[in-house]
Amino acid sequence: MSETTPMKKPKRPLPKSRVMTNELMDSVYAAAFDAEAKGEPVGWSTSIFPQELCETFGVPILYPENNAAGVAARHDSPRFIAQSEGELGYSNDICSYARLSIGMAHMIATDPNYERPALAMPRPTFLLCATNSCFELLKWYECLSRELNIPIFLQDCLYNYYEEEPASHKVKYARSQLEHNIKRMEEFFGKKFDWDKFLEIQKISNENSRLYDEIVLMNDRDPAPMNGFDLFNYMAPMVVARGKKETTAILLQLKKEIEENIAKGVSTFGSTPQDYRVDWEGIACWPNLGYNLKTMKKYGINCVTNGYVGAWSLKYTPGNLDEMGSQYMQSSTNVNSTLTTMGRRADCASHFQCDGMLCHVNRSCKFMTYHMFVGREIVEEKAKIPVASFDGDQADPTIFNEAQFETRVQSLVDIMKQNKEAKR
Amino acid sequence: MSDIKALLAQFDEISGNPRKMLGEYLANGEKVIGCFPVYTPQPLVTAAGLVPIGLWGGQVNPQVSGKYSPIFTCSILHSCLEYGMSGAYQGLSAALMPILCDTFRGTSAAWRAGVKDIPLIVFIHPQNRKDPGALDYMIEEYKSVKTALEKIAGKEITNRALANALTLYNKRNAAMREFCALANEHLDLITPVARHHVMKAVTFLKPEKAVEMVGELNKALKDQPVCKWTGKKVILTGITAEPDDLLVSFTENKVAVVGDDLAQESRQYRTDYPSANSALESLALQWLEIRGCSLAHDDNNTTRGKMLVELAERTGADGVVLCMMRFCDIEEYDQPYVIKMLQEAGLLAFSVDIDQSTTDSGQARTKIQAFAEN
Repeated sequence: MSETTPMKKPKRPLPKSRVMTNELMDSVYAAAFDAEAKGEPVGWSTSIFPQELCETFGVPILYPENNAAGVAARHDSPRFIAQSEGELGYSNDICSYARLSIGMAHMIATDPNYERPALAMPRPTFLLCATNSCFELLKWYECLSRELNIPIFLQDCLYNYYEEEPASHKVKYARSQLEHNIKRMEEFFGKKFDWDKFLEIQKISNENSRLYDEIVLMNDRDPAPMNGFDLFNYMAPMVVARGKKETTAILLQLKKEIEENIAKGVSTFGSTPQDYRVDWEGIACWPNLGYNLKTMKKYGINCVTNGYVGAWSLKYTPGNLDEMGSQYMQSSTNVNSTLTTMGRRADCASHFQCDGMLCHVNRSCKFMTYHMFVGREIVEEKAKIPVASFDGDQADPTIFNEAQFETRVQSLVDIMKQNKEAKR
Repeated sequence: MSDIKALLAQFDEISGNPRKMLGEYLANGEKVIGCFPVYTPQPLVTAAGLVPIGLWGGQVNPQVSGKYSPIFTCSILHSCLEYGMSGAYQGLSAALMPILCDTFRGTSAAWRAGVKDIPLIVFIHPQNRKDPGALDYMIEEYKSVKTALEKIAGKEITNRALANALTLYNKRNAAMREFCALANEHLDLITPVARHHVMKAVTFLKPEKAVEMVGELNKALKDQPVCKWTGKKVILTGITAEPDDLLVSFTENKVAVVGDDLAQESRQYRTDYPSANSALESLALQWLEIRGCSLAHDDNNTTRGKMLVELAERTGADGVVLCMMRFCDIEEYDQPYVIKMLQEAGLLAFSVDIDQSTTDSGQARTKIQAFAEN
């Protein structure tokens, strides 16, 4: 090391809740690889499929969306995306998570010696697809189904155009699908469904959802005890292991850590003053998460809340299949009308005393972009805060532009500053 | 021959002037319901005494819809929103919108924000079509559409009225399928543009009028000697194959269109309303029976590819052109496998871009020319 080279800042040790999260993720992936090695069923699932079913069957499931986020955050997405766009001929207009996972599936299926990513996935024997997060998921899973020649268990979650609870015929359809999927799975796995265990899994899942919501709400304090971006890290257990007790343990530990922060008057945001509280809307810009965070810290912005991370908080009465089906039909943001979604976001921004909203116009997420385009007026009118947006993508690093991001952040800060001064 | 030319001229006129058709219906004191692509329960509209009219957007460079619609909105819904916001659809009593993709989800939000004078009647098809609950759900969903239409019409839609409408639509479908078969015997008369204009015009016509006009055309075609086509033949697949300039380039290169799997064309007419316990059940069952469409999930995930290969074999097509609607992710997901499957079957298969925001079809023309010379 030369004398002029600055010393690297030592990394802060991870909090216990993060260590536990990493251990849980490792164990979930290990169980899936173990099943593959034994020739047992392994599934790939969309992120808000009723996980309670396979958790009850004890069949390991991995989540391509969660995996793609991890691969992208490690800057390893381009080669899988290139595989899809190149040899396989997919358009770069389709979702980058899809391009990434289809590329990976093709490599897994055709080349046993392919260079595995740090977060490798085993070859699945079946697919679970719920259309609540978006409609593209269904087309994506059709491609995976063709690529790997495996069946799809589909939970069709109808878009809620009206600002009301799903009508009874929709709930009936949701329940019918749950029941039918259970029957199909019994045949496919060659196992009987254990309804008592199912009830237990439902209870655990609900408890985890309740705890998660409680934790998210703890950041409404000023100053916030958490860097809002931390929530992106704790999404993983909610997505991948919502029906496991280990997730309960992680969330209890996290809650304890936040309470300690509150008691000590500190925050995981660090010592930087939290000049502005901002609501981040949309999926994380995973390949550029570090730059996003660094830039916002530079301007004293803590993104104290975001709507996306709460998509996995599904609460229903355990044992009630109608309620369960209905809940899956109402989560996430992209299965609800813009008036519902952005109205809630405006309320949330007000509750968290946000000074502004920063929207990630995620090139891969078409409907979320509509929410932002149409919902901007709703947020500005209801929450009376400025809204800024920037272009990016959840996994394709070619869309995001650092200069544009900082310029948009600067303009948001200018307005938030003026608003604060006007209030004085 | 002159009959055929005169008849085709009528279809040209109608397909190119939907606004004029709307104006005529309104001048007649009729109430008109806009029908977004692709599968709307038009028999309910007819049974209510209302007039269904297809909304297919058009060649327009969007000026106002960008306020609510991202740049990567598929071309057809972008132009529909543009027309809605700019007043081109004024006079419609309502618009029926199926939610068949994410862009529909988004456009329904954008429409509510930007088009205040045309209420939307939104409904959703079940994609889990093999689920035992899918049929009951679809029936109930159509009941909600029925109630909304009855309110506009000011009268009840009876089971008999709907059954009659279904029969009429099945007759229309049969006439369209017969037209497609006859067109292939008269490829000298039914150019790709003429074929498209007939198929599109019918989406702007009342079903009884469509049966009458297409029936007349079919009769006139039957009277003509069969043409032995010596040029190449293709099948078109995708959402739409427009503008005319694109289709003209087939003619210029002596390429005939002998079949299609376009959402704007044959996908509208190839699945009849089956017999059932009630008219509403028949209406709902039709959705469950649709095959080989990118917008209707099928557990057999290569149905579309197989159907195209079979269609090409049946019609003697040399190739298949995938008319790729710009930013239509639904079709984009199907594109690689469909092209691959067709090529593996020994067919020439390639994609051309369909973009309603520009009239420049230069790239597509080059591809068609290369295909003709191959």
